[in-house]
Amino acid sequence: MIDLEGLASLRTSLEADGYEIDVEEGERVAVVISATPAACAECLVPASLMVPMLEHALKVPGDRIDLTYPADHEQ
Amino acid sequence: MGSSIMDPTGQTTRAEGALQPAIRPESLKGMTVGLLDNGKQNAGRFVEELGKVLVERYGVGRVVLRKKPVATVDAPAQLLDDLHHAAELVVIGVGDCGSCSAAAIADGIALERLGTPTAVVCTESFTATADAMAVIRGAAGYRHATVAHPMAGLPFEKVRARAEGVADEVASLLTGATVRRGAA
Repeated sequence: MIDLEGLASLRTSLEADGYEIDVEEGERVAVVISATPAACAECLVPASLMVPMLEHALKVPGDRIDLTYPADHEQ
Repeated sequence: MGSSIMDPTGQTTRAEGALQPAIRPESLKGMTVGLLDNGKQNAGRFVEELGKVLVERYGVGRVVLRKKPVATVDAPAQLLDDLHHAAELVVIGVGDCGSCSAAAIADGIALERLGTPTAVVCTESFTATADAMAVIRGAAGYRHATVAHPMAGLPFEKVRARAEGVADEVASLLTGATVRRGAA
């Protein structure tokens, strides 16, 4: 089970930069980060760095996380 | 036993115990403090005012100012090496976005590895980002100082107030016997 307190802390950080985070947990953990109109493009860490951050915050092994980033939405 | 985490530079670091913090002085009196402006809006003004407070309140001998070329990525090794040689202690500010907070923590840890006690200041919104970056860089529990969010857009008086408000915490980080959170 994901760490909800860690998720809340990470959500606070992302929202300060204009991003939203949605998490769905099943056999795997699906994380979708999306940009609001106020998003600061250069403020979001690269996806390669976000995965270990999610691993730390959610207390979930990185190989269970499926991350969708704003750039992925636009494709 | 700590878990291993792959960081984006390709290094695998242990999540616990990898960082040996730099040895702290007992006081700041007469010390040379490096101020690293990370280039974010108001960061230069903030670290300069913080430097003045450290001189006034703690007897810091002098300050030297440097500026990062890009806030959102790690500082160039040459810049950190320059700070390591120019100053006995370093203050880095201000992490007030996700990527710049992560980079500021990375810079602080890199300076600690060089042997320079370093205090990083981030706004409170980015505590989760900063703490996660510390784990990724093998420095779980690496403490940083926090100020209210945001820093950008503030008038000078409020920037000065932020500096005055966080100075004691910064001084504690620079002089503490350890930088490990929750250490016994």
